[in-house]
Amino acid sequence: MFQAHSFLWHYLWVAPNLLFAVLATLLWKRGLQKKLRGLFIYAWFQAAQCAVLFPLDHIGAVSSWTYCFIDLMSGVLEFAVVFVLVSDLFAGLFDEYEALAQVGRAMLRWAAGLLLIAAVVLGAFAPVESEHWLVGTLEILQQGMYVIVSGLLLLLFASAAYFSLAWEHRIFGIALGLGISSCVHLATWALEANKVLTEKITMLSMANMATTHIVVLMWFYYLFVPSPSVAKAGEPLADNQLAVWNRELERLLKPRQ
Amino acid sequence: MTLAIFVIIAAALSLVAIAGIAVMHSLRISSGTSLPSQIRPLDIESFQNLTDPAEDAYLRWCLPAVELRKVRRARLRALAAYVQAAAKNATVLARMGQVAAASSDAETAAAARRMINEALLVRRNAAFVLLKIFVARAWPDFDLAAVPILDGYNRLSGAAMLLGRLQNPAAPIRISVM
Repeated sequence: MFQAHSFLWHYLWVAPNLLFAVLATLLWKRGLQKKLRGLFIYAWFQAAQCAVLFPLDHIGAVSSWTYCFIDLMSGVLEFAVVFVLVSDLFAGLFDEYEALAQVGRAMLRWAAGLLLIAAVVLGAFAPVESEHWLVGTLEILQQGMYVIVSGLLLLLFASAAYFSLAWEHRIFGIALGLGISSCVHLATWALEANKVLTEKITMLSMANMATTHIVVLMWFYYLFVPSPSVAKAGEPLADNQLAVWNRELERLLKPRQ
Repeated sequence: MTLAIFVIIAAALSLVAIAGIAVMHSLRISSGTSLPSQIRPLDIESFQNLTDPAEDAYLRWCLPAVELRKVRRARLRALAAYVQAAAKNATVLARMGQVAAASSDAETAAAARRMINEALLVRRNAAFVLLKIFVARAWPDFDLAAVPILDGYNRLSGAAMLLGRLQNPAAPIRISVM
């Protein structure tokens, strides 16, 4: 069951990517492709990546070197696509507030730069076998990508909490899903890149695929189920609540004699 | 191996932090706790006194160096407490503004957006001022420019007052602005 090419392994590879294709189509049909540009590109990219890699894995004529090379190239592209998605999440949260728009952009630039240095340092210490250098490079690239993505998402959540910002329901769902997924992927790729638990490599891949499956289902919920707080936000404040508010403001604004 | 363990621990901590913040965010949406009651009254006059460079210059003139350092440290501790309270109030006002920004009345919504921006500026500047206070406590000659946060707080108070009036015009607030 937990072997490569088992039914579960096939399911976990194909199902989330089919769901990504459905998600991208629904985003396009509902006219959300511009508003959620990063997710739209990411969902199509994931579906297309699977559509290329899955058949290549099953065609006997394709050598493992060719497969790994294409996997590595798609990994590089994925890095760019995920960065676009994360940038969109930063913009989605901070651009709503005039006072923080510039801070958000500066934070993204500086944090991405610092995390890139951290990723390079971690990669430099990872062992690479000369015989399988392509696989080793792919693992280091994935580890580096998730160091940057999980670091940026942690920063995004921490700054939202610090400034007590109100998240848009969809942006919150996308960020939460990507945050969970990037932390799990970071842990599994760190094990693979540092050649720890090499005998359990299929299990680690399946853990990654299962996380992606859960996250894509979470995104369906956050994107297409209406936010429970929308109705609440539109409600007028009760008179007694306003009275308390005004009294507190008076206390706040009136200096003590 | 050691490096892998280090990265796994970092990933686990990040996951816990992200999940924790997400849960807190969801609880905040569903909880009905009264925001105004969370505002802590702030003595603006004392706050102003602590940030006044003339007060600092006066103390420097009339106190011996050892005594001055002691007094300055005590003033910095008090200032840090004021800045933290101002930042906390700014957070509460930002959240109140976020609720009010959904108002159907355009004037109220605009006033709420203005208040949110002022509150976020205070919150942002508070972090820098607290960092400066931290440095100033270690290095007594450090020039501490905490005045902008006080100005920002006064602007935030004005924005809050305007929103309060728009939200409840029947019961105007009598406020003596300094």
